[in-house]
Amino acid sequence: MYASLLSNRYLTSRLIPFIAIAAVALCVALVVTVVSVMSGFLDMLKSSGRLIVGDVIISSGIGGMPYTDEFLVDLKGLKDVQGATPLIDTIGLLRMPYPRGDQKEVSHVQVWAVDPISLATVTDYANDLYWRPPADAAASAAMSDEDPRKHLDIDVLNDGKTLVQSRTGAPGITLGMHVSIGNARQKDGSYLPRYGWFMPGNDVTLTVVPVSGQGKIAEPREQIFPVLNEVQTGIYEVDRNRVYIPLPEGQRLLRLDEAPLYDLNAEPGPDGRYPQIGTTPARVTKILVRAKPDVSANQLRAEVELCYAAFAKRINADNSRVASMPDFVNILTWEQQLADLIAPVEKEREMMRVLFSLIYLVCAGLILSIFWSIVVEKTRDIGILRSVGASRFGVMWIFLRYGLIIGILGSGLGVLLAWLIVRNVNAIHEAIGSDAPPVIWIGAFVLTGICALGMIYAIWRGRLLAILLWLLGTTVLGLIATGLALHHGTLIWDPSVYYFTIVPDQVDWGTARWTFLFGVVFSVIGAAIPASKAADIDPVEALRYG
Amino acid sequence: MVNHIIATHVPPIIEARGVRKTYDIGSLPVEVLKGADLTVQSGEWVAVLGSSGSGKSTLMHLMGGLDRPDDNGGEIRFDDRPISVTHGKRLDSYRNRDIGFVFQFYHLLQELNVFENAMLPGMVGNWMTGHGSARAVARESARRLLDSFGLSHRLAHKPSQLSGGERQRVAIARALVNSPRVLLADEPTGNLDTSTGAGILDLLAERHAAGLTVIMVTHDAEVAARADRIVKLVNGRVTDQALTW
Repeated sequence: MYASLLSNRYLTSRLIPFIAIAAVALCVALVVTVVSVMSGFLDMLKSSGRLIVGDVIISSGIGGMPYTDEFLVDLKGLKDVQGATPLIDTIGLLRMPYPRGDQKEVSHVQVWAVDPISLATVTDYANDLYWRPPADAAASAAMSDEDPRKHLDIDVLNDGKTLVQSRTGAPGITLGMHVSIGNARQKDGSYLPRYGWFMPGNDVTLTVVPVSGQGKIAEPREQIFPVLNEVQTGIYEVDRNRVYIPLPEGQRLLRLDEAPLYDLNAEPGPDGRYPQIGTTPARVTKILVRAKPDVSANQLRAEVELCYAAFAKRINADNSRVASMPDFVNILTWEQQLADLIAPVEKEREMMRVLFSLIYLVCAGLILSIFWSIVVEKTRDIGILRSVGASRFGVMWIFLRYGLIIGILGSGLGVLLAWLIVRNVNAIHEAIGSDAPPVIWIGAFVLTGICALGMIYAIWRGRLLAILLWLLGTTVLGLIATGLALHHGTLIWDPSVYYFTIVPDQVDWGTARWTFLFGVVFSVIGAAIPASKAADIDPVEALRYG
Repeated sequence: MVNHIIATHVPPIIEARGVRKTYDIGSLPVEVLKGADLTVQSGEWVAVLGSSGSGKSTLMHLMGGLDRPDDNGGEIRFDDRPISVTHGKRLDSYRNRDIGFVFQFYHLLQELNVFENAMLPGMVGNWMTGHGSARAVARESARRLLDSFGLSHRLAHKPSQLSGGERQRVAIARALVNSPRVLLADEPTGNLDTSTGAGILDLLAERHAAGLTVIMVTHDAEVAARADRIVKLVNGRVTDQALTW
C-alpha cells in the first residue's frame, strides 16, 4: 500500500517522470510506426505479387515451350489447380503518340503476350483495368466534362478484357498505368489525363526482336496497336513498364507461332520450295498457374513439377512429334519468382527492427539516469522508510513499481501514437506533399511573435531560464513558420522507389504487442539498478543525508 | 563509572551491553562508542545527555535496530531478545512495531500529507503482514493521535505547510501509530524554540505517564531534566546514570 502511494506521489509531484513517459512513448511509437509501415509494405508486395503472377510460374528458355495447349489440359486436370494461362514474356520498344510532330517518344517496355480470358482466371488482370466505362447513359451524363471517358466509345474500354478492338476486330494493347506520361495521380489516388493525352483511343507502335532458341537475333518486327485500356496493378515497377498484347500477336511477332517444317535434305519442287513434312507447334515462354483456395503455392509447385515431368516424358517419347519438350524448365512459386523483390524488403524490415530495437536500450538508460537522480534526491525518504520498518525489498519495490508505471504508460501512449500516425499516414504524407495552408503558417508566425514578446518580458525581469526558454521557443517556432511559408510539398513516399502508390496504413499488432512488452520490460530494467541502490542504502547514512 | 542504581527483578525492556561502534571517516577508523552500557526499564523516561560527537545518536540508532555494533562489540537486547544479531523481516518488524523514532529534523515525507505521514508505519506494517484489518486500525489510531495533538484540522496539509512544532507533533504521531513499547527521540526539541519545545516535551510526558517508555537523546541539560533519569554519555561511554527526582 505504501509502495503504491509513494510511487504515485513521486510520479505526480514532479515533471521529470512525465518527460520519461514521453520519451518511452516516442521510442515505442517510432519502432511500431517504422516496422508497421515496413510490414505493410511487405504484405502489399506479397499480396500484389501473387495477384500478378499467380501461385506457380513455369518458365522456359527464350526458345519457348511447344505443345502448351496439351500441357494446359493436363495442368487443369490437377485437383489443386484453379486456372492456368500461357504467355510470352519479352522486352520491346513502344513508340508513343506524343509529342505532336515527327519526333515521338519511345519507351522500353516489358511485353506480356497473353490470353486475356485465361489470364483473368490466374491473375487480377480484369480487375486491374483502370478505366471503367460509365454503366449507363445516366452515369455518363453525371461525369464531369474533364473525364475523358465521357467522350469515348464505351466499347474501347471494355475491349481491354479481350485485347481485341470489337469495332474492327484488330488486336489491341493495354498499357501499365505509368507507361505513358498522360496520367496524373490525384490526391485521392484516382487519375486524370495530363497534357491532353488520354491513351485509350490512341495508337502506339510496338517493336520487338525475335530471338531463336540458339540466341540468334532476327530482324526487329513492329506493329501498330490501338490502346484499349490501362492497367493498374498497384506495383509501380509493373505499372511503369508492362504492356499486354494478345498471345497470337506476340507469337507471330516473335516467330514463336506455328510454322511449316520443310525437308531441307530433299530436292526442291518445281516452285523451288522444299517439301513440307509437318508443322512446328506454337510456343510460349511462361505458364502461370493459380492454386485453388487453401492450397499452398509450395504444394501446387510439387504437383506441377510431377505433371511437367510426366508430360515431357510422354511427348519426347512420341516419335511423331516434330518438336520436343525442354528437359528442364524453371518451376517456381510466386515467392521464389519475386524473391529478388521480396527478400531485400524482408531483410530491410528485420534490419530496421533490430536497429530500432536499440531504442529499448535508450529507454532503459533514460529511466536509469532519471531514477538514479530521484533515488539520490529521495535518499532521506529511504532512511525514514527504513526507520519505520520498511524492508529493503519494500523500498526497492517503490522504484520498480515507479518504473513499471512509466513503462506501461509510456509504451501504451507510444502504441496509441503509432496507431494514430500509421492510420493517418497517407493524410500526413499528402499534407507534407502539399503547400501548407496559410492559416497554419500565419498561426505559427503569431506564436513566434508571442514567444518573442515573452522573451522581451523575461529580459526585462532578468530571468535567465525564462529568457533561454522563450528564445528557444521563438527560434523553433520561427523556423517552423518560415519552413511552412516556403514549403511547396515534399514527396517522401516516392512510388518509383517503393513500388506502391500509397503508404501502408495498417498497424502491425504483433510488433506493437512485443514493442509494448519490451518497452515495459526495459523500463523496469532501467529502474532496477537505482531501485537496488535504494535498497542498499544504509538507513543511518540516509537519515543524515542532506 | 557506571552506577546501576535501579535494582529491580523486572527484566529491562531495552539493554545495551558493552556496545562498541566504529565508523570509517575517510580512511580513518573512528570509534564512536567504546563499550557503552545502558539499561532501561519498561515505563521509564531516560534522557541520554551528551555533547556533540559523544555518540548519543549512534547509541539510539543501535537501540532502534537501524545499525549494528561492531563485531564482538557488545549487544543490544529488547525484552530480553538480542536485536543486534537480528536480520531481515524480524528486524523490520522490530522497527515497525516495537520502536518509534522521533528525529530532530522531523523527517516527514514531503509528498505525503499529515494523515498519510502519521499512517506510514501502519501502512508499512500492513504491507508486511498483508492484513487489511491492520490498515483500519492504523487509520483509526493515526486519526485519534492527530486529533489529540490538535492537528485534526491539518490532516490534508503537506509538511511544508506546517510550523516546526506541528511537524514534530506529526512525527510523534507517526512514531506512536503502531503503539510501540519504546519511543526513541533524537533531540526532539533541537530544532524548535523554547516554548514550542516545552510543548513537545509536555506531549512526551503525557505519553510517558500513560506507560510509554521514552529514551530521549539531547545535549540540553534543561530538556534532559524532564526525564526520570539522565544518562551521561562522554567520549563513547556511559559515565553516570542518575535519577532526576
